[in-house]
Order: sequence, then structure tokens, then C-alpha cells
Amino acid sequence: MTMVDSVPLEWLLLLAAALFCIGLFGALVRRSLIGILLGVELMLNAVNINMVAFWRYLEPNLVAGQVFALFIITIAAAEAAVGLAMVIAIYRSRRTIDADDAALLQG
Amino acid sequence: MGFFLDIAWLIPLLPLLACVALTLLPLRGAMAGRLAVSAIAIAAVLALGVIVALAAGDGTAFTRVVRWAPAGAADLLLGYRIDGLAAVMLVMVTLVATAIHVFAIGYMAHDARRVRFFAYTTLFTAAMLAMVMAGNLLLLFIAWEVMGLCSYLLIGFWYDRTYADPNRITPRAAAIKAFMTTRVGDVLLLIGLVYLWLEAGTLEIGAAAGQIFAPQLLERLATSGTAVGMSAATAIALLIFAGTIGKSAQFPLHVWLPDAMEGPTPVSALIHAATMVAAGVFLVARTFPIFAVSDALPVVAAIGAITALGAALVACVQFDIKRILAYSTVSQLGFMVAALGVGGWGAALFHLLTHACFKALLFLGAGSVIHAMEAVVGHDGPAQDIRSMGGLRNAMPRTFAAYLVGALALAGVAPLAGFWSKDEILAEAFAHGNLLIGVMLLAASFLTAFYMTRQVWLVFFGRFRGGASLPHESPATMTVPLIVLAVASVLVGAINLPWWHTLSDFVAAEATSFNLLLAFIATLLALAGIGGGWWLYRSAFADAATTDPLQQAQPRLFALLQQAFAIDALYGWVIGRLFDVVSDLRDRLDRLVIGRGVAGTGSLAGLLGRLTFLFDDAVLNGGGDLVARSTSDAGEELRRSVTGRVQDYLALAIAGLVVLGVVVVYGLRP
Repeated sequence: MTMVDSVPLEWLLLLAAALFCIGLFGALVRRSLIGILLGVELMLNAVNINMVAFWRYLEPNLVAGQVFALFIITIAAAEAAVGLAMVIAIYRSRRTIDADDAALLQG
Repeated sequence: MGFFLDIAWLIPLLPLLACVALTLLPLRGAMAGRLAVSAIAIAAVLALGVIVALAAGDGTAFTRVVRWAPAGAADLLLGYRIDGLAAVMLVMVTLVATAIHVFAIGYMAHDARRVRFFAYTTLFTAAMLAMVMAGNLLLLFIAWEVMGLCSYLLIGFWYDRTYADPNRITPRAAAIKAFMTTRVGDVLLLIGLVYLWLEAGTLEIGAAAGQIFAPQLLERLATSGTAVGMSAATAIALLIFAGTIGKSAQFPLHVWLPDAMEGPTPVSALIHAATMVAAGVFLVARTFPIFAVSDALPVVAAIGAITALGAALVACVQFDIKRILAYSTVSQLGFMVAALGVGGWGAALFHLLTHACFKALLFLGAGSVIHAMEAVVGHDGPAQDIRSMGGLRNAMPRTFAAYLVGALALAGVAPLAGFWSKDEILAEAFAHGNLLIGVMLLAASFLTAFYMTRQVWLVFFGRFRGGASLPHESPATMTVPLIVLAVASVLVGAINLPWWHTLSDFVAAEATSFNLLLAFIATLLALAGIGGGWWLYRSAFADAATTDPLQQAQPRLFALLQQAFAIDALYGWVIGRLFDVVSDLRDRLDRLVIGRGVAGTGSLAGLLGRLTFLFDDAVLNGGGDLVARSTSDAGEELRRSVTGRVQDYLALAIAGLVVLGVVVVYGLRP
């Protein structure tokens, strides 16, 4: 009994959607910049689940879904590195990582 | 020898460069005079080279032109033309100008503005030379006007002088008078040149086709009529002659020349005796072919004779040493113009040359006397009044000797220069003119001898009446030019003796036949004039306050002549009346037409302005304000959306994405 037979695609899509919404909620409401970054990571990984699920269930013969997932993982790693570097830079200049305090562009 | 003809353009250029240098470089006074003299002296050498080169040639005119500007069918050319007439004039002008500039170094030595003086005189000399050499009448006219300007500047050279006597004309006023009076003639001359241009389509001097003396053109001018009945040639000739009347101080425009004596004496000698006033005579000689085919010559002769006699009469009663010479100049110019009028332009040219020599000599001699007198009686004293002079022959022997030569030459005593040239004019007048003109000229030459004797006697003989101490002889820079000019005044008659018509042949004029009887009569009259002058004035003046013997005999005639036939007063009255009438008319025009027009225009403009204001205020101004205020308000509202918080932007981006997704998924599907 394979996973494809026992778990329908919709479950995986619901999981991915839930994970995306949790990530989005976290990115929008967390005060800490670290929290925002965590939210963004969650959203990216929700997309990964989507990619892999569609590949496995609909087009198992094409590698595109897997390749996309791998790309996103790589980009997420790069994004985390750049994002954390920016957080450190902000912390050094302001002694805080509260997103509401970094509002220089306010009109 | 063609070399000199090729570089003849340097002759006017050198004085012009001197003028530029004097104007622009910070020269000291003594340097200025030397620079001016050397420029003109080199020009004189070149001029002598030119005349020798021309005499060595085949007698044709030498012409050099460059294209100046396109004008109608033909191009306007700029260039010079040297024929016998021009070459002779070049030599005369440069030599006389050299002598006068040397003299001026001494005469102007104490004047603070002498650099400016030499700048003006060199500019004048350049213009005169350019006029003489001009290859077309337009260039000639330009140079002619520059001379007029220089004359104005130099008459008014002492523009800050004022006199206690309100009736005495100041240099300032004299300059304006000279400029305005000659302007009358110059404008008519310009009209004449334009007329000639319209008729001929060219102003080039010369007898070839396409030049103004082309035979078929002259024939056409002589036969084509004008609106007033005379032929075109007559009209053009009369208009050109109007320029001569102004520049050569002929009746009725002679009034400026006596007052021009307010300028420095070297100027009087250079411009108002020897050269510039001769420009008018030169102009007629230059354009003589047009006069020859016109009916204008009798007018020319009459004007000349009237001027010669009238000015000679006036000269007999003047007391100012320079004014006597000024009226004498007017009179002698009248002789030349009369000679032109009877067709003897060669004789006129001859007299022009001799007169330039001895009149420059006389003026410089008068300058020497004035210079010496000013040292005794002061600038404001009677330094020019011959009643205050006397006995100067012992005090100033060199000036006296030179002056005497000049006076005898002017009086026409053989064998001095004036005798030969005046005799030629008289012979021409009796041979070709009418008897009346000849008699008038004879009378004028008698009066010439008379007034010169009167002047010489009162200045140089008798006892000094100006004060206790006698004046001193002038320095060598002043006496040497006098002596040179005196020698020239003796010898220059030899260029055109009755037996060798060197000058007439050279300029290709018709030679005058010698009239022995006339020469005898003229000499007798000259001697009679001299004798009469001596007899009347030998002991007439005991002191400066004595009444003139002529005044005792004929007080009313004397007063009339003293005012020069009251022509100045007449002009003043006529022109004053004319001004009154014209200004009255202008006043009415101003008040009734222009004034009301201006007021009406003003109120109309005010009304329009008010309307425009309303529109501007409500629409343009209000509209502009509204746009600005709306933009500002909108910005105020919108700035609230820019919180600067990164999560708000993210939320907005997600919201936008959702909207976009809904549109894509539901909106774009059919």
C-alpha cells in the first residue's frame, strides 16, 4: 500500500495551505524580525509541499516538480542568510529587532 | 615705379593707424606729435613716389578695386583710383599736413589734450587722403563725412571755453553751427549721389562702360528730363554742387567757416583753409564731365563770383586776425568755384594748390603771432585783435618774413604763386565766362590786396599797441614750417606757368591761354590795393581804441560789412520764425491729435486691463490655486498609507495578490 493510495492529494494541499496561512499570519503579526523570517520560511516550505505533492500525484515522470522544490530550498537558504545579516545590521545600529521601530520610510 | 602705385593704399592707412595708436596707446604728449608727423611724412614720401610713378606711366589712371558688397545688378566696388588729379592732391595734402603737424607740435605744446588733438588731425588727414584717392563716389562720400566729423570735433576742441562777451560765439556753438550748416549741403549731395545711382546704376569714377563718365551715359543724362524741367544731368550736378557749397563755404552756406576759427589755429590752417574746404572744389573737378554736359555751370560761376566779392568786402573790416583770413579763404574758394563755373577746372585746381600753400602759411603765421600775443596779453585778452598788435616785425622777424611772402602771394604779386593761379582764373573768366563775372573777380582781387595790406600793416608795422613788453619769436618747430611753406608759396606757381602747362598736361585739363593785358590790369589792381591799404592805414592806429578809418568814412556800411551782410542775423531770424511756426504746429498736433490719441489708448488699455484682471483672478489664479490645494490635500491623505512598517507593505502586497488571483481565476475565465 503506497502513500498515493492511502493519502489523497487534497489532504496534502490542505496541509500546505494551512502551513502557508500560519506562515503568512506569523509574518504579518510577529513583532520580532526573526519571527517574520520564520513566517516567510514556513510559507516557502508550504509551497515546497505543494510542488512535491503535485509532482508525486499528477506527473511522476517529470522531474520539474522536484527541481523546483530543490531551487526553493536553495533560495530559502540564501534568503535566510541575507535576512539574518540584515537583522544583525539593524540590531547593531538600533539595539533592537522590533519591526515597528524600523519605520524610517514613514510618510 | 609701379611699386608706389601698388602700395598707394598705405597713404591714407598710415595716418589712420596713427590715429588708432594715438587713441588706444597710453602715449605722452611729445610722443603723440612725433608719431603723427612721422606717419604723415611717410605718407608724403609715398605720395611723391606715386606722382613720379604716374608721370613715368602712359598717363592712364591706375585703379585697384576689391569687391565690397553686391548691390543690385552690379557689385559695389571698394578701391582707389589714381589719376593726375588725385596724385597732385595727394602730394599737396600730405606735404601741407606734414608742415602743419610739425607746427602743431610747438603750438599745442602746453595743451593738456594734445594727444586727442593729434588723434583727430590724423584721422582727418586719413579721411582727406581717402577721399582724394576714392575710386567711387560712395567711398568719396564716406570720407567726406568723416572729414565733416573731424571738423566738428576740432572746431569744438576747446569745448569748455566760455567768453565774457555773450555775443561772441563759443567753440561749442561754432562746432554745432559748422556741422549743421554743412549738413544741409551734405544731405543734398547724398540725394544727388542716390539720383546718379538710380540713373547710372554705378558710382565708379571713370569713362569706361559701366562707369559714371561713360559717353553714352552722359548723353542720356543730358537729354533725359526731370519733373522740374531741367535735365537729369543738371539736377545731379546742382545737387553735387550743393555739397560743394556746404563744404567749401560758398554763399549761402558760408556762415560756418568764419566761426570755425574758434578751433586751434593749426586746425584752421589744415582743415579750414588748406585742405578740407578745398574738398568741395575737388569734388566738382572730379565729377566735371557731368557738369560739362549740364546747364549747372552758370549757377556755379555766379555763386563763386558772389562769394569771392562778398567775402572779400567783409574781410576788409574785420579786426580778428583769423577772421580776416577766414573770409579771405571763403573769397579765394569763391575764385576757385567761379573758375569751375566757367569751365576752367584746371585753373581751379591750380589755384587750389597754390592757395593751400600760402593760406596754410598765413594761418600758421597768424598762429605764431597769436601764440606770441597770448604770452603777453593772456588767453582771455585781445590776442587775436589786430588793433592790439603792431610793430611785430622787429619782435618776430622770421614769422614776419614768411607772413609777408604769404600775403604778397595771396594779393597776387608777380612772380609769387598766387599771381599765376589767379591770373589763370581771370583769363578763364574773361575768355569763357561772362564779363560781369570777370569784373567781379577783378574787384575781389583788388580787395584781396587791400585787406591783406591792412592786416600786415596793422600787425607787423607801426608801434606795438598791446602792452608795455613786446612778444617774442615762436620756437623753431613753429617757424621752420613757416619758412618751408613760404618757399613753397614762391615756387609752387612754377608748376603751371603760362609757357609750360605742366599741371594742366598732367591732369589732362585744357590749358589756359595767357592774357597779357589782363595780367597787367590784375597786377595794377593788386598794387593799387596794396598802395591804398598802405595810404589808409600807414598811421591810422595810434592805440588799440582808435576807430578804423573806413568806419569814420562810412559808419553804416562798415557796420553792415562787420556783420557780414547780416546773413547770420537773417538766418537766425528766418530759422527762428520757422521754428516758432513748426513748434506751434507740433504743439497743436501733440495736444489735439497725439495727446487725445494717447489718452484714449490709455483708457482703453485700462478697461482691457480690468477685464483681464477679472478673468485672471477668477480663472487662472483661482484655478491654479485649486490645483495646488487639491494636490496638497491628496498628498496629505495619501501619506497616511505610507507607514514605513514592512509588515503593512507585506499585507498590502498579499491583499493585492489575492485581488489579482480572484481576477485571474474568476474574472478572466469565460
